[in-house]
Amino acid sequence: MSTVLDSKIPAGPLKDKWDNYKNTIKLVNPANKRKHTVLVVGTGLAGGSAAATLAELGYNVKSFCIQDSPRRAHSIAAQGGINAAKNYPNDGDTVWRLFYDTIKGGDYRSREANVHRLAQVSNNIIDQCVAQGVPFAREYGGLLDNRSFGGAQVSRTFYARGQTGQQLLLGAYQAMSRQIGAGNIEMLSRREMLDLVVVDGKARGIITRNLVTGEYERHFGDAVLLCTGGYGNVYYLSTNAKNSNVTAAWRCHKRGAYFANPCYTQIHPTCIPVSGDYQSKLTLMSESLRNDGRVWVPKKQGDDRHPQDIPEEDRDYYLERRYPSFGNLVPRDVASRNAKMATDEGRGVGETGLAVYLDFADSIKRLGRDVIEARYGNLFEMYERITGENPYEVPMRIFPAVHYTMGGLWVDYELQSNVPGLFVLGEANFSDHGANRLGASALMQGLADGYFVIPYTLGNYIAGNSFSAITGNEEAFNEAESAADARIQKLLSIQGTKTVTEFHRELGQIIWDQVGMSRTASGLRTAIDQVSALREEFWQNVRVPGEPTTYNKNLEFAGRVADFLELGELMARDALEREESCGGHFREEHQSAEGEAMRKDEDFTHVSAWQHTESGHVLHKENLDFENVQLTTRSYK
Amino acid sequence: MANSMNITLKVWRQAGPDVKGGFETYQVPDANAHMSFLELLDVLNEQLIKEGNDPVEFDHDCREGICGSCGVVIDGVAHGPQKRTACCQLHMRHYRDGDTIVIEPWRAEGFPIIKDLVVDRSAFDRIIASGGYISANTGAAQDANSLPIAKADADLAMDYATCIGCGACVAACPNASASLFTAAKIAQLSLLPQGDPERKTRVKSMVDQMAEEGFGDCSNHAECEAVCPKGISISSISRMRREYVKAMTD
Amino acid sequence: MSLLTNLNSPIGKKLVTGITGLGLTIFVLMHMIGNLSMFSGDDAYNEYAHFLASLGPLLYAVEAGLVLFFLAHAVNGVKIWMGKRKARPQGYAVYKSAGGPSMQSSSSRSMIITGIILLVFTVFHLISFKFGSGGPGNADAAYLTTIDGVEMRDLAKLVREKFALPWYTIGYTAIMLLLVTHLRHGIWSALQSLGAMRPSLSPAVYTIGGLLGLGIGLGFIVMPLALFFGWL
Repeated sequence: MSTVLDSKIPAGPLKDKWDNYKNTIKLVNPANKRKHTVLVVGTGLAGGSAAATLAELGYNVKSFCIQDSPRRAHSIAAQGGINAAKNYPNDGDTVWRLFYDTIKGGDYRSREANVHRLAQVSNNIIDQCVAQGVPFAREYGGLLDNRSFGGAQVSRTFYARGQTGQQLLLGAYQAMSRQIGAGNIEMLSRREMLDLVVVDGKARGIITRNLVTGEYERHFGDAVLLCTGGYGNVYYLSTNAKNSNVTAAWRCHKRGAYFANPCYTQIHPTCIPVSGDYQSKLTLMSESLRNDGRVWVPKKQGDDRHPQDIPEEDRDYYLERRYPSFGNLVPRDVASRNAKMATDEGRGVGETGLAVYLDFADSIKRLGRDVIEARYGNLFEMYERITGENPYEVPMRIFPAVHYTMGGLWVDYELQSNVPGLFVLGEANFSDHGANRLGASALMQGLADGYFVIPYTLGNYIAGNSFSAITGNEEAFNEAESAADARIQKLLSIQGTKTVTEFHRELGQIIWDQVGMSRTASGLRTAIDQVSALREEFWQNVRVPGEPTTYNKNLEFAGRVADFLELGELMARDALEREESCGGHFREEHQSAEGEAMRKDEDFTHVSAWQHTESGHVLHKENLDFENVQLTTRSYK
Repeated sequence: MANSMNITLKVWRQAGPDVKGGFETYQVPDANAHMSFLELLDVLNEQLIKEGNDPVEFDHDCREGICGSCGVVIDGVAHGPQKRTACCQLHMRHYRDGDTIVIEPWRAEGFPIIKDLVVDRSAFDRIIASGGYISANTGAAQDANSLPIAKADADLAMDYATCIGCGACVAACPNASASLFTAAKIAQLSLLPQGDPERKTRVKSMVDQMAEEGFGDCSNHAECEAVCPKGISISSISRMRREYVKAMTD
Repeated sequence: MSLLTNLNSPIGKKLVTGITGLGLTIFVLMHMIGNLSMFSGDDAYNEYAHFLASLGPLLYAVEAGLVLFFLAHAVNGVKIWMGKRKARPQGYAVYKSAGGPSMQSSSSRSMIITGIILLVFTVFHLISFKFGSGGPGNADAAYLTTIDGVEMRDLAKLVREKFALPWYTIGYTAIMLLLVTHLRHGIWSALQSLGAMRPSLSPAVYTIGGLLGLGIGLGFIVMPLALFFGWL
């Protein structure tokens, strides 16, 4: 039953693959593009850029988002920057280095050809965004400014203050808006995709629900582009927006698309800690803070003295102690895991004990308050706004939080899933970040997929296939719509005693505890049992208020939590299956004597792609062949 | 617990777009000083659902002040009392135990109410679609550094570009004008050389669209700047007017 | 046609209001300075009035311009005010200014009211003085005087009579205070409407505008009060 997947990597040397591909694909006649309707679900960096570009090319585009406006997709919240191998600072960057750093950063669990293509088109992204009027930071000479990000040895990150994601997204949104104004994109906001419709083996349509009126709508075309982001909200508390969800991707998965590497999640070390059980989401602070802040906890358990009253000899600067050469600048996964270890030992700080200190006192003494303010003023303000504490005087309290999910629907080199005609872009696919994503790479991937990859690969698909005329009244549409409706009716009919949020919070706690920063076989087995029991309880005892025919956020969330309850189990199964530690996936059974992650390349240099069947999940593998880089062990000692 | 609070909320409830609405009063005994304002509404909603009532609908998404989804008028001020803060980042420590808080939706002809505190802001999308962009097809761009832009201009453009499209400017304006929103985009693009070729058509069509959407005229109250979570200056409106005059004289 | 459309756009309306507003500000400033000539004696005042009246076609042109400015300013002001009701059919139960960079004040909120009162006042003011005793269409030998051999209207006499009346003096003073209120927001607002404002200058310009408005208002008030209390 289990098969080996073909990723359709083009022939030739690594650096020529993308050109070879472009040289040999089929093209769609310009006059014919208008006749092909493309459904683009999601309007983040990937979806927005794809919709705009395809409409510019002449395709008939229909675009969907769950928010009230395409400008609100969660890409907007990305702070740090976007990488490109421009080498403007002349500090030795090349396409190869960006490729290599990304492959290595992903702990050798991504596909060489995809990552190399990403590095190649990274430069076009910057050009495109500047042409759109994205106000990147500049130097006094008027040229673009770059900074080093996330411990990279070259300065290749372009940024727009701490709002790079916002500016890039607005660039894509404006490009889209131009096409909406020109009538080339039909924009359908406040729509949720509830199912994928497959006709004659090809993805040909979707079922959406109008979130204002509750009406179901059938949309059809020649291809479906899924650009619906990641599934970090399975943890309930994450830095994702409240509306971010896995439903569209999960519906596709249940229609046959494979879900790859669901256990690869990224946990970001510098977030503002949870303050109480009413907490609804977490806020990230740029990891640049670790450049000047020192991470510590008290040496003694349960030391509840005020941080300023804890003398130097009673403090444990654990990152500096364990990783003398990288110190506070160890990568995200290492910093996060160590914070968890400290709090697990009962040495956490703050009211909840789930935080560590990030202390700027020494830097302020050394550099002066002004310098620190110039570097981090806006972050300090944000921290104070949320916590009510002044970080110039009291050390910040930080704790890791779920931030990004590297796993997603499996796609080949063309970003096409195993369901023909279903393409998956951006965070929703699994493709480019392996087991760990580097800082400033998510924006790069979303825009690469939408602006520069999909226009070619979609054209190749459309030109190479024939499409029967459909009307939206085919049996597949009827069946999908009634299934969607039955689910909604079922959710409303249960009228149990627990709210959707209560279920979601419980699920999040299980996944956080067992499929979070460090995982064990027994914990994962427990999680599988707990999640499946919780899922059963959900369908017996959830209470969803209100009507299906009006705006009803609880009803929307209920459907999404129901899908998270299925995904959560698959994440645990995937994590259990992967008997190694790599990137964001740390198995306690697989660590060195010093507690560092240990990969098992001989057994696990593959992508795990899960197929949903009536009788359960079936694992398929895609072998990862490294022909151009040598697999090494990351060390930060 | 020193942080716990009992808060009374007077919330605007309206079942649908064409239904008459009114205020309902609720007690939230389990509020906490560390909560965000939207978390207070979450707690209220959990309470309402448990009691068998419909929860209060409000738009929200990122809850970190950047997506622009949230926005309600709190005690008469759009986004509430804290300067440069969207209501998702407003925290309850700015209130005292026993306070009563009045919550209303954005009120404007251009923002029809959908339900409770949720309004339809698609007018903003149509204003952008009428010209708030630079026409640059994908793939046609020259090298990013071939067009130097003075740092001061780029920085100022960025100031205007930080608009999150929440609509607080309209909500707070005594005339329900969308001038700040429209002007912020016009001002950003007018400062950049890339925006030059379309500057005249852009300002005219965006201003026309703004009027068509039913927003009021600006009376220079500058209330918009005071409630803007990003503190966007009304100097953008000055710029928009200069752009308009240049376009008029054509 | 297209110019008219442009002038009727949200920005065109503000441009017209701003230009006419500044024009009218200059007018009231000049008027106020002219009034102060009373402090140099009745003859100086009458000579100044006679000088203006004898300008002939130039005077008519300026007067026509003023009427046009008044009307355009008022019509646009009313339009903007009416648009505001259309743009927010349902008001807030609770509404207050956020303060800070907001320029919202009793002045800015009452422009329509102070404006309408000032318009109505202007009509009565013209009837009282321009077309009052001794004025055009109202010849009256009692209101004639001869200075340096030139016969002219004795406007000073009329002024003295009017400002001997307590209700008239109080009313006039009150309305001039409303003018101060109107100009406090108006001068700054006109410059902002014309796109002439920079954020760094804004507070200073607002203050200067307010002081100028106050100066104009006080300048108008001081002469009638001096007459009323018999200091002049």
